[in-house]
Amino acid sequence: MTVLARAPSRSTIISSVCVREWREARANKLLVAMTLFPPLVILAAGIFAVGAAAIYPPNERDLEAIYAAAPAVVGLDPAQAVQGIIAQYFLILFMLIPTIVPLTIAVYSVIGEKSARTLEPLLATPVRIGELLLAKSVASVVPAVIVTWLAYLFYLLAVGAVGSPAAIRAVTAPRWVLAMIVMVPLITALSVNLGILISTRVNDVRVAQQIGGLVVVPVVALGIAQVTGRVVLDEGSFIQMSLVLLVIDAVVFAAARLAFQRENILTRWR
Amino acid sequence: MGTVLRSEGLTKRFGSLLAVDGLDLEVREGEVFGFLGPNGAGKTTTLRLLCALIAPSAGTAEIAGLRLGRDDGRIRASVGILTEHPGLYERLSARENLRFFADLYGLGAATADAQVERFLRLMGLWDERDRPVAMFSRGMKQKMAIARAALHEPRILFLDEPTTGLDPDAARTVRELILALAREGRTVFLCTHNMDEADRLCDRIAFFRQRVIRIDSPDRLRAELYGRSVEVRVVPAPLPHHLETVRAVPGVNEAWLENGSIVLRTADPTRTDPEVVRALVAAGADVAFVSERRARLEDVYLRIVHADEVEP
Repeated sequence: MTVLARAPSRSTIISSVCVREWREARANKLLVAMTLFPPLVILAAGIFAVGAAAIYPPNERDLEAIYAAAPAVVGLDPAQAVQGIIAQYFLILFMLIPTIVPLTIAVYSVIGEKSARTLEPLLATPVRIGELLLAKSVASVVPAVIVTWLAYLFYLLAVGAVGSPAAIRAVTAPRWVLAMIVMVPLITALSVNLGILISTRVNDVRVAQQIGGLVVVPVVALGIAQVTGRVVLDEGSFIQMSLVLLVIDAVVFAAARLAFQRENILTRWR
Repeated sequence: MGTVLRSEGLTKRFGSLLAVDGLDLEVREGEVFGFLGPNGAGKTTTLRLLCALIAPSAGTAEIAGLRLGRDDGRIRASVGILTEHPGLYERLSARENLRFFADLYGLGAATADAQVERFLRLMGLWDERDRPVAMFSRGMKQKMAIARAALHEPRILFLDEPTTGLDPDAARTVRELILALAREGRTVFLCTHNMDEADRLCDRIAFFRQRVIRIDSPDRLRAELYGRSVEVRVVPAPLPHHLETVRAVPGVNEAWLENGSIVLRTADPTRTDPEVVRALVAAGADVAFVSERRARLEDVYLRIVHADEVEP
């Protein structure tokens, strides 16, 4: 008798795990809804807010409050200033998509396998554990990044259609384009690996999401500081932050790799 | 028959708990090997050790010619395991489930497709190939899990309680599948609580509780512990001198009356039984039938395991 099995290539593992997870996710209506709902809401709210700001310019009192909160827009035409602030404010919310969406997918990917008891057969294959973890990360990161980029693309088109030049300038500023292209995948990876790490310790999807949700806090804080002009981030700052994120990603992945070991999974995970 | 699995002093501790204590085992190529023990005996832990899923605390093992601890990835490629729970992806179809595992076993597209079809047909699930597994019965899921374990043609197939929770029909189908896989020359390492199943399927069995208590074929264990009993039915009923006649036959160790039959114990029924029949006929008895009584494996198991409890 000839044993047919051999160690599969990394690309085979990643593509097989991704296809399998995406097929399962597609069949899970709740997961699809939870994945698509936040970006759709943020996108719709953003487009509505920018459009509304064009129709209803701020009164004198609102304007004073806006200038006080965001010194960066002092001197601009009131309607343009408001649209610029709103357009930029929603970009912060877009940065939240890669913290929310992949967390749900990643948590389901691990806790779902735990509760369905599908991990043991998976671990019995010749697949190396680091590659399995990497494949699971990719399976969660890719849809989240695509959803975020698509939402950003629609937002750009919508702001281009209904927004003022200040709003268009705000959403196409190089630092935000850079943030979308570079930081979104890095934040997504952080959220995913944090989700996997947390999922190794808890069995409840909701608990894992609540703990993992804390990753939004620094993103929101930084975004608000940026919009209000308290902290002005240029392209260089975004690059520096991306490098820091890259290091954090590597550390969190290593921690997830340590927690995600055959023997731990089989004998300690409950 | 060569040895396909050999372990020496294989030990697994979880903190202060000793799950497997110096397991010495040899399993031959192509045999169905039963691994029997009470709940909590460490059977599942042993399976995980031998499938290179967890690392031993001490001892060594060679599985399919590969060294545990050194060739773990290759060991996992050379063995198949049916875990206690089927663990299938319920939202995926039968074909998608098997194809996923075929990919993870590195079978390559053409081989993977061929193997998936072969095993779905073997399990009688080909017509259900595109239905989500969630719609399958428990027996169908178990067949799927066995197919998944055997998909890559492993040299040893480890089966953990393959018929637990199945109805008699499904259990019989699964047992037939195990025999079919064994007939292909595969070694089957069967963990079970089901003594009847072990008796029917296994060439040899090991009684295990943290360590191996006894290993032998079911027949030899039975014979060693209970001897071989033969029931001789005399109609309308045996008379006292019939019993004396039987006792006088060379090779009969013991004989007694039981429920209208003469029951005798002998080391070699094939030689003794014709002599007994001849002697009874000569003594004027009408012999209706002669049949061998088999001690149940369950009795053997209980006796050995309980003896081990008293004298560990």
